[in-house]
Amino acid sequence: MKLFRTTLLAFLLSLLGAAAPASAQTLLFRAAVVHTIANGDIADGEVLVKAGKIMLIGRGLPAKDAQIIELKGQHLYPGLIAPNTSLGLVEIGAVRATEDTTEIGTFTPDVQSWIAVNPDSELIPVARANGITHAHVVPSGGRVPGQSGLTALAGWGVEGIVAKRAVAMHLDWPDMSLDTRPKEQFSDSSKWKSPDDQAKDRRKRLKEIDDFFDEASAYAKARAAAGKDFKQHPAWEAMLPVVRGELPLIVHAEELRQIKAALHWSTNRNQRIIIAGGRDAALVADTLAKTKTSVIFEHVFTLPPRDSDAHIVQFRAVAQLHKAGVKVAFGLGLGSWGASGLRNLPYSAAQSAAYGLPEIEALKAITLHPAQILGVADRLGSIEQGKEASFIATDGNILDIRSNVKRMWIAGRETSLESRHTRLYEKYKNRPKPN
Amino acid sequence: MMNLFRQPFRSLLKLGLISLVAALTGLQAVVAPFPPPGQRPEPPGVHALVGARVVLKPGLTNENATILIRDGKIEAVGQNISPPADARIWVMKGKTIYAGFIDSYLTLDSATRPVQTTMTVPIAATSGAGFFGVPGEEKDPGSPGPGAPLGTITPEFRVARTYTPNVKTLESLHELGFTAGNLVPSKGILRGTSAFVLLMEGNPNELILKPDTAQHIAFDPRAAGEDTYPHSLMGVIAAVRQTFHDAQHHDKLKSMEQREQVFPFNPALDSLKPVLERKMPVILEPGSALMVDRATRLAAEFNLKPIILSSGQEWRRPELAKAANAAFIVPVNFPSLPKLPEPDDWDQVTLDQLRAWDWAAENPALLRREKITIALTLHGLADRKAFRKNLQLALDRGLSREDTLAALTTVPAALCGIDNQVGTIEKGKLANLTVVEGDYFDPAAKMHAVWVNGRIHPMAPSAPATDTKAKPSEKNTEVKTDKAAELRTSLGRLTAHSPAKFRGALTNPPALLIRNATIWTSGPQGRLADADLLVVGDRIKAVGKNLKPPAASAVKGFLEIDGTGLHVTPGIIDCHSHSMILGGVNESTLPSTAQVRIGDVINSETENIFWQLAGGVTTANLLHGSANPIGGQNAVIKLRHGAAPEGLRLEGAPEGIKFALGENVKQSNWGEKHTKRFPQTRMGVRTFFQNRFLAAKNYQVGWDRFRKQGGEPPRRDLELDALSEILRGERWIHCHSYRQDEIVSFLRLMEDFGVKVGTLQHVLEGYKVADEIARHGAGASCFSDWWAFKFEVYDAIAYAGSLMHQRGAVVSFNSDSSDLARRLNLEAAKAVKYGGTDENEALKFVTINPARQLKIDQRVGSLEPGKDADFALWSKSPLDSGTVCLQTWIEGKRFYDRTDAAQRATDLQKEREALLNKASKIIGLGGLEGASPSAQAAFFREVWEHARDQHVHECLDCKGHHDKP
Repeated sequence: MKLFRTTLLAFLLSLLGAAAPASAQTLLFRAAVVHTIANGDIADGEVLVKAGKIMLIGRGLPAKDAQIIELKGQHLYPGLIAPNTSLGLVEIGAVRATEDTTEIGTFTPDVQSWIAVNPDSELIPVARANGITHAHVVPSGGRVPGQSGLTALAGWGVEGIVAKRAVAMHLDWPDMSLDTRPKEQFSDSSKWKSPDDQAKDRRKRLKEIDDFFDEASAYAKARAAAGKDFKQHPAWEAMLPVVRGELPLIVHAEELRQIKAALHWSTNRNQRIIIAGGRDAALVADTLAKTKTSVIFEHVFTLPPRDSDAHIVQFRAVAQLHKAGVKVAFGLGLGSWGASGLRNLPYSAAQSAAYGLPEIEALKAITLHPAQILGVADRLGSIEQGKEASFIATDGNILDIRSNVKRMWIAGRETSLESRHTRLYEKYKNRPKPN
Repeated sequence: MMNLFRQPFRSLLKLGLISLVAALTGLQAVVAPFPPPGQRPEPPGVHALVGARVVLKPGLTNENATILIRDGKIEAVGQNISPPADARIWVMKGKTIYAGFIDSYLTLDSATRPVQTTMTVPIAATSGAGFFGVPGEEKDPGSPGPGAPLGTITPEFRVARTYTPNVKTLESLHELGFTAGNLVPSKGILRGTSAFVLLMEGNPNELILKPDTAQHIAFDPRAAGEDTYPHSLMGVIAAVRQTFHDAQHHDKLKSMEQREQVFPFNPALDSLKPVLERKMPVILEPGSALMVDRATRLAAEFNLKPIILSSGQEWRRPELAKAANAAFIVPVNFPSLPKLPEPDDWDQVTLDQLRAWDWAAENPALLRREKITIALTLHGLADRKAFRKNLQLALDRGLSREDTLAALTTVPAALCGIDNQVGTIEKGKLANLTVVEGDYFDPAAKMHAVWVNGRIHPMAPSAPATDTKAKPSEKNTEVKTDKAAELRTSLGRLTAHSPAKFRGALTNPPALLIRNATIWTSGPQGRLADADLLVVGDRIKAVGKNLKPPAASAVKGFLEIDGTGLHVTPGIIDCHSHSMILGGVNESTLPSTAQVRIGDVINSETENIFWQLAGGVTTANLLHGSANPIGGQNAVIKLRHGAAPEGLRLEGAPEGIKFALGENVKQSNWGEKHTKRFPQTRMGVRTFFQNRFLAAKNYQVGWDRFRKQGGEPPRRDLELDALSEILRGERWIHCHSYRQDEIVSFLRLMEDFGVKVGTLQHVLEGYKVADEIARHGAGASCFSDWWAFKFEVYDAIAYAGSLMHQRGAVVSFNSDSSDLARRLNLEAAKAVKYGGTDENEALKFVTINPARQLKIDQRVGSLEPGKDADFALWSKSPLDSGTVCLQTWIEGKRFYDRTDAAQRATDLQKEREALLNKASKIIGLGGLEGASPSAQAAFFREVWEHARDQHVHECLDCKGHHDKP
């Protein structure tokens, strides 16, 4: 009985954490420029926030009872959203014990990322310090590694930081490239396969995907038809919202053949997908646009993949995608490297802007577009009425490296920008000169 | 020149190493043995071959001639010879007779592979040559018995010792017309000597015409075992270099009259004496186009007589092949187009692969156009039947028949020093003949027979000369013939461009004036608005306002650029790069590899040069990796796109060397297997350095004593040479370092030895000990903001650069990555962001500061009169994320221009499309019929020069030993 009461208390507390992150106060933000992202910039603009929600945007807003937040000379942007990251699942890449990114097994749709995000990871405040308010945390592993969730980069405890559970299911598209190394270069020559045999394996791997999704549909059908004693399986249960079209499917595909095959698969099955990675996406920009497939693009700074490519091929890729009508969000990819470097997300956008992407599109691709792609645009991604007050205030253009994020609010609550880095900086800045 | 070989044999005999009397007596016809009853009797030895078309030597043919053979030798040849009564008459009407073909690089064993050019940086590494390991756990160096300490250095090995003819192999060689060959050793780096043999059955004693034709060196980093030194290309070069120094030393000691100690027995070093005395040539297998240059330079260091085994890739740098000033032995193992399962799979075929395929058959003709002597070889051709078909391809691409015949007869005979016995049809030479029913260079003409040493070896009656022709079906024979002709026409034309077309200076004006730009001088003038930059020749003449063009403006080609709204900065300097290195950046086997030199393996071919020029980079410090406490020697280069490796070097840049501390060198992240090499702790790292520096000190003492007092010269040790240079202040340490404790303890140890450290690289916790670093005077060259990829960088912070700068250290930001190198200007902006460094000072992190750290600031790093005209032109402030590099200049030459780059990209695309069209046409015409799997695999053969171009993300020092993320 006592145990039950303790559990209940914990449960209620956690509910409280999850459901009431917003400040109940009324706040009036005054900034030199309000970048609404959705509806242009407002010079000397104001934003009125109540209970963590945006009430009004404009100039000369009613300030009655509102705490005024004077951001003199500063820019107000919506918080940045980082899609497709391992943030919170990994602390130090080389230390295995600190890694929770990658599960084993080929089809594990019932794996969930958001329950394993370490709220006190030192990497989170470092990302936050440069304006990232939300991270889309994604599991890695086999063909279907599981489900991703959206994490707010501030809050108490693992449940307190969840912004959205089950954002998407993930499908890691099989490698379609041929290993062209001659047999004698294999340390184990029995591993060598002819291109034709490799093509056969490739078809087999694609068929496995079809089989899995067919079986998921069959399960859904059987479940709907069956009575109470239906034997549930957590993996198939996890696939139900995908089959029903309720949960987006993010397909990780980089190279041209992968993206083409994934698009073909998606059209054939009438299964909407989002492409993550997308190294060669610009080569099929028109098909992506026609099928309204969005892209989480992670390869602005990847070296030109082909030796006949222009040296700026990746710098200009997103400009080309945009021109073709493809919605793009920027990401830095899964794994330790992308997580520890997440603060540099705006500079992928900046580089694309330097090579032809309109600046507003570059900004959208780190705010509104990821919100839309991840299904949270009703709450996040722009400064619009009714959305969450997740803002950053900067002393300059957020795309310019020299600018600094000065303050941050998540759902109306001001969040610290202190991090392991600022603490060490302060400590050693003040180190007395040794004799 | 070819009779020189008698001399070494005598000296070798004197040494009691060999006892081949037959070889000394020179030419000897094989005397027919007298077989016992029951065995087949020997055929008579007198023959008259009558009525043939006889090609006496390349360019000299006798129609309807007669050849007289007696006891293995040619007795006479000519048109008016009547056969003697004792001769067996062979009517040869309609046949062509050539001097028997010779392969100067004959490999009988399929295990002989070409130098392996696949360079994944080794994943595993412990101790190599068996020293420096935990006692009892050293790696087996694989060299039991006396000789060199490395299992791959076996110059004493003699192919002649083990040769026995094999009927099957002989038949396959006879079918192609070969009668003699130089059998080469197949294992190791310094491999041993080859033997010249007659390709017939018999007593090996009599078949070996020359037991030690040449010494062989293959620059193959895969020759040694997985964890064994040397395991990188630069390691291989260093090992060869050390061995020749040792051989010289050994010889010097031997020649000294009085010796106190017993002289050590060393057959390996003894065997190199004739090579060092130029009495025996060395056959070098460089493995790649650039290595041709390096291998011949190495040969020149020791005044060797080189012959080069072609990699088939000389088209990449024909001028280097020419400069080698040596004969080439050229394989004809041309790649075939591959069969790919799906049309989209062609997307993964690179332009370079298509070029290599298209150039392959052109390469022999190209070498001849460069006036290089060539011999042809079957080596590398897994499918020997393709030999004549490939010869035809080479002929169609312009190789002359005369040259081809010479490459199969007179040239290999001369290269092997045996042209007094074989190579032409003339009186007194061995009766080695190749007889064809028609013309050898028509693949359809059948081979008739070969004669070896006066003995006929007829072809099996049904053996087809070639399998190139598909069986004609009656209906469409004509169609097939047309198709075959069209195929031949397509294959016969070169479509690919030379890589040289896409590199080199774009403009080289005698003088240049940039007007009204914002000029970031990184010098005392600071940042100047609306200012001018005047360049005359390769130097900066003036920086300032309203500069007047000098008299040079009258000079034709004077250039003026309107810089309004634009920014000019000094060319960017990357203080830590691995981007232009050939064949592995880590010699990760031994804990000290001070003997290896990045300067031996500069890669001038990689696309990284162009990509980084496009980011304003003009100078880079190429460093060895961080797999060992003492890594290799560095090379500072300028990105003079188009220049060959030696032309990239920044002349006069002080020498340096890579050191490393911490997790990488103690193998913390290398896996459980790697726990045996010393050191395994930070304590041991310091101990190791102390040991090596004391070793170097003792070494110096030995040399000093020798220089003063004479006596026995000490052995030259290339590792300790490099460390001694550090002690003398002639070589600067660039030390990869992370944690504060290791940084300080390293600085203190070096201070104890009186050494000032050049730079601390990465120096991630340097901000914690910035005062100590500044006081020592070491430069700090760091990542701007990398952290948390391993435990020792958990305390790395983006403020480090600013903090160290504030405390008085000279700070630079480096790339350590082929990607980041393209945008170091934006890395500099992070010093503004994190810690508020002034913008001018921040830009210096990638201009004058790295120049100061590399002690090249007298020439580069700032825009000041008298300095090299190395600069970049930007659309906006170089620190603005929206900036784009418009032009990059080095020494007054424009190497990058954004407009030209766009055209370049279009041209590259066009070339690729043209090659793909050609490929598809050739496949349509049946060009894949008969293509062997090995020829198809050869299409994908990786070349060192481009092995590292396509890496998606690089962070070599993150993991220390391999470069996959």
